[in-house]
Amino acid sequence: MRTANRLATLLLAVLLLVGGVLLAVEALLSAAGRPALIVDLAGWAAALGGTRWDEPAVRAAAIGVLLLGLCLLAAELRRWTPLRVDAGAGWHLHRRCLERRLTVAAGSVPGVRRARVRVRRHGAEWRPRVAVVGDPATRGEVEFAVRQELHRLAVARPSRIEVRLLPRRAA
Amino acid sequence: MTNAAHRVLWTVVALLLVALGGVALALNLGRIPGGDSGAVLLGAGLRRSWRLAAPWGALAVAVAGLLAAVSGLWLLLRELRGSGEDRRGTLVHPGRRGRTRLAAAALARALERDLTGDPRIRRARVVLTGDPHRPDLWLRVEIVAGTRTAGLREHVSTAVRRYVDTADCRPAHLDVTALVDAGQA
Repeated sequence: MRTANRLATLLLAVLLLVGGVLLAVEALLSAAGRPALIVDLAGWAAALGGTRWDEPAVRAAAIGVLLLGLCLLAAELRRWTPLRVDAGAGWHLHRRCLERRLTVAAGSVPGVRRARVRVRRHGAEWRPRVAVVGDPATRGEVEFAVRQELHRLAVARPSRIEVRLLPRRAA
Repeated sequence: MTNAAHRVLWTVVALLLVALGGVALALNLGRIPGGDSGAVLLGAGLRRSWRLAAPWGALAVAVAGLLAAVSGLWLLLRELRGSGEDRRGTLVHPGRRGRTRLAAAALARALERDLTGDPRIRRARVVLTGDPHRPDLWLRVEIVAGTRTAGLREHVSTAVRRYVDTADCRPAHLDVTALVDAGQA
C-alpha cells in the first residue's frame, strides 16, 4: 500500500501539472478569442448542456466515483502491516528482513522442505506465523530454531510462535 | 513525503470522491430538496453568466489552472526530492570570541563512518531532524548475515555517545532501524 500510495501521488502530481497548464492555456486562448489548442471546449459545453442529471450515464458515473472513493477510504483507514518491528530500547527490525531471516532459520531444520514466515500484529505485540512443508515431527525443532534466531537478534521474544505444518505432498 | 503524509493526502482525496459521487447520485435520484433531476448538467443560466463575465471568467479559470499546475509541481518535487535534504541545518555554538558552526550533513556523515567502522555493519544512514541542539537521530543500519545484534547495540550506543561529545548536542530521540541480511548464519 505504501508503494501504491507513492505511485498514485506521482501520478496525481503529473496530472495536476499537465492538466493545470493545459487548462490555463486553453482559458487564456478562449479569453483572447483564439481557437482551442487541444480541448474542444465548445463540444464539451454542448455535451454537458445536453445531458440531464437523471440520465443512467450520470448515475453510473456517480456510483463509480462513490465506489472508488469508498474503496480508497477503506484501503487508507484499515490497519496496515507494520513496516518494522519493535525490538526494544529504541531499536526496530525491518519486518521484511526479519521475516526472511526467520524463514532461513526455519528452512534450515532437517526434514523441512519449504518454510515461510510472516510477522503479524496481535493487539499490542507481534507474532511470527510460520508455515512449513515437511515432516510433521519437526514442529518443535522449527519453533526452537525460530526462537533461537530471535534470541540472536536480541528481540524481545513473542509469547507465542504459530507453527503451521503442512504435510509433504506425495510425488 | 512520509508514509503518513501520503495516507492523509489519499484519505482527503477519497473523502472528496465520496462527497462528489454522493451529491451527484442524490441529484440523479432527485433526493436533494430543491434540486431538479431533470435539469441539464451545464444549465443555460451558468452559460449566460460565463458569457456575461467574459473575459474575467476565463482569466479566473486560467489562474485556477496555474494554481493546480503549481501544486502539481510542488507535489512532484516533494516526491522526487533527494534524501540529502533531510540533513540540512547547522549547529551553532556561541563562544567567548566567536561562534563555532557545524554543518549537520558533515556530522551525519561522520557518524555513518563511525558506525560502518564495525565490519558487522555493511551500510549506515543517519538522518537528523528537529532542533539542531536537541536533534532527533534516525539511524538505519544494514547488518551482515549471522550477526548477533546484542553486541551490535553496544557499538551503536558507543558511536552515538562519541557523536554527542563531538557535536555537543543531546539527542531528544534516538531511533534505530536494523535491516538484517537473510544469509546463513
